[in-house]
Amino acid sequence: MEILNFSAKTLCLLSLVAILAPFLTFPIIQLGKKSIGATVSISNITISFIASVVIFLSIWNVEVVHWQVEWFSIGTRLFTAGVLLNNLSVLMMVLVSGISLLVHIYSLSYMKGDGNIHKYWAYLGLFCFSMMGLVVADSLLLIYMFWELVGFFSFLLIGFWFTKATASQAAKKAFIMNRIGDIGFLIGLIIIYTQFGTFDIVELFGTGGLIDSASIIDGVWISSNSEMPVIWLSVAGIAFFIGAIAKSAQFPLHTWLPDAMAGPTSVSSLIHAATMVAAGVFLLGRIYPLFDTLVLNIITIIGVFTAFMAATIALTQNDIKRILAYSTISQLGLMIAAMGIGAYGASIFYLATHAFFKCLLFLAAGAVIHRLNHYKEHHNLVFDHQDIRLMGGLRKQMPISFITMCIAAAALAGLPFTSGFLSKDAILINSFEWAQGYHGFKKLVPYLLVFTSWLTVFYIARLIFKVFLGKPRYEGITEAPSAMTRVLVVLAFFCLFIAFSVNPLSYEGSWIFEGFIKAGVKRFDDLHVIIPAIVTFVSLAIVFFAYKIYGRNSPKTFPDNGFIYRFSNRAWYLDSGYNLLFVRPTEAISRLSYKFDRLIIDGIVSFLSLIVKNLAAISNWFDHYIIDGLVNGIASLAQKTGDLSRKFQSGKLQHYLITMLTVVVVFFILTYFI
Amino acid sequence: MIPLSHFMLISAALFCIGLYAVLTKRNAIQVLIGIEFMINAAILNFVAFGRLDKLAGGGQMFALFAIVLAAAGVAVALAIILNVYKHFKTINPEKIDSLKN
Repeated sequence: MEILNFSAKTLCLLSLVAILAPFLTFPIIQLGKKSIGATVSISNITISFIASVVIFLSIWNVEVVHWQVEWFSIGTRLFTAGVLLNNLSVLMMVLVSGISLLVHIYSLSYMKGDGNIHKYWAYLGLFCFSMMGLVVADSLLLIYMFWELVGFFSFLLIGFWFTKATASQAAKKAFIMNRIGDIGFLIGLIIIYTQFGTFDIVELFGTGGLIDSASIIDGVWISSNSEMPVIWLSVAGIAFFIGAIAKSAQFPLHTWLPDAMAGPTSVSSLIHAATMVAAGVFLLGRIYPLFDTLVLNIITIIGVFTAFMAATIALTQNDIKRILAYSTISQLGLMIAAMGIGAYGASIFYLATHAFFKCLLFLAAGAVIHRLNHYKEHHNLVFDHQDIRLMGGLRKQMPISFITMCIAAAALAGLPFTSGFLSKDAILINSFEWAQGYHGFKKLVPYLLVFTSWLTVFYIARLIFKVFLGKPRYEGITEAPSAMTRVLVVLAFFCLFIAFSVNPLSYEGSWIFEGFIKAGVKRFDDLHVIIPAIVTFVSLAIVFFAYKIYGRNSPKTFPDNGFIYRFSNRAWYLDSGYNLLFVRPTEAISRLSYKFDRLIIDGIVSFLSLIVKNLAAISNWFDHYIIDGLVNGIASLAQKTGDLSRKFQSGKLQHYLITMLTVVVVFFILTYFI
Repeated sequence: MIPLSHFMLISAALFCIGLYAVLTKRNAIQVLIGIEFMINAAILNFVAFGRLDKLAGGGQMFALFAIVLAAAGVAVALAIILNVYKHFKTINPEKIDSLKN
């Protein structure tokens, strides 16, 4: 891999290119013609992808490049910004830009004819920009900023068809749920900054960094900068984990993800399979040294529980995208649990393989939805084109989608010769090895994970059989456009073992797994043979069982009115519960404060205004009658006087004479009689 | 012999009638007649008081002088009235109230 010998500085500049290229899509589309949207965004994401690949080839297992500049300073405190390129971030870069590129190409035909397509390209570019920035940033503060941006642009993308009520609701829900996590992240940031006085990841989490050198003496957590009770270490870990819970859709903040399926399928594929939800797992990976045993246990429990719960919900869903959404939550739970048990490498490995096969599952589902919708509109029919109960027999009509989706489903189910087999076994075996060292409930963890993976096999088999096998229901459905199927084929290749490991049966030879630190647990050789064998055998049995039930449109199926069915179908009543616990009280409080506002606040204000109004009326009266009266009185006096004296000057001769006579008479009287 | 006061009363009455005519009449000619009344009232006084100056006859003299003056004045006044009538097409003093034009 050392054929590409770039200097560290060149690599950093390249990484900036990789980040900024998708960002430029937005201003170019805004300033330029709307019709160039597709060309611009695909070329930009291609540039980003090529740059990422070059960086990957230079950095992977070779060196770590850390480059930063002074950003700003507050007082004497200096804040830096920069890029950190290590195995984790370059892997994520390639993953994000690669999946994005494929989704961009797929969107060309999937989103064709949409009126707001230029906005779609712009949002997509911005989303990729923030995700790339998130994985490359070297400071927790920068990561936080990009984290928020990812949340915001996912809001725009989920709500892309904002005229649909469900889509705009789902976008709001996703945004609000993510805000809860963001608060956790912020709390974590504050604690870390108070304790260490820096946000720099290398300084904090590098080997021999501040976290390592901080010591715990008598329940006090001491660093070179400050000290605080040791409980804050756990609080910080939990706070960051809450951030990850929201982004990676873990219990109890997972309910936004299934609703977010209201967005375009290509967006679901990009955001909810490969990039945004991976951000949570990525964050855990970035700050991994921070977590203490307590936090790791919490992470494990939440992860395992989420994996199990989402799998049981996925069993009874009928919307094709909802099944995949719950499957995503379940698989993310698996990754989080792997992080919790210390199987860091296995978790990242699964993140990488999952990104490909889940993206493929979504895109193939998108192809099916696209064709069915097309058929529906062409024939003026009304039916739910995402309901798998109304599908069937698409095997012959859409062969490429069928085969690629089968490969992806096999990978999800963890069947041999797929990438999922390698990565899922890595997690399962690691969990068994980890559980060897513990007693009590921790013994349960690996068994729950295995059980969850069997549930996964069942629901994905149900989906495939219902959609593709059986008798064709609709005549004249054709394969999706070639731009879509080519993407599917490319993704299908990455669902096979060959893309990740030469040996199809052992994950330990995989290059991704090799690239990360190992879990520090004792290796049990027996487990590496027994577990894959048992899991695979049972999985195959489950596939056969599912085929028996769903494979031939047979009427025989499970009853759908029992309590367990409803419990699962309604997603453990969590949404209703949240509605009852949070939404209703919030609404009630809002109504109450509305009333308070209307009656008390408005009352005081209008009372005051009444007083002022009356005062004003009084002074108005005073002004009008007294002040104006005085002035007008003087004026009218002058006017009257003027009028009086004017009358003498009438110009009439006899009047003058009378006046004269009167004056003479008056003077006469005055002179002689008074 | 007629006492002086009788002349004075007639003279005062004449004067008042003349004054009334001057002040109230709507015709300039009548106003002029009123003025004549007043002049004649004065002349009557001259003549009446002239009794007290039998030697020089100053009263008679002044009366004659005043009559001549009055005649001249009437001639001028009539000329003015004629001109006024030409200008205003009326000789009603009520309506002749502007100095300009």
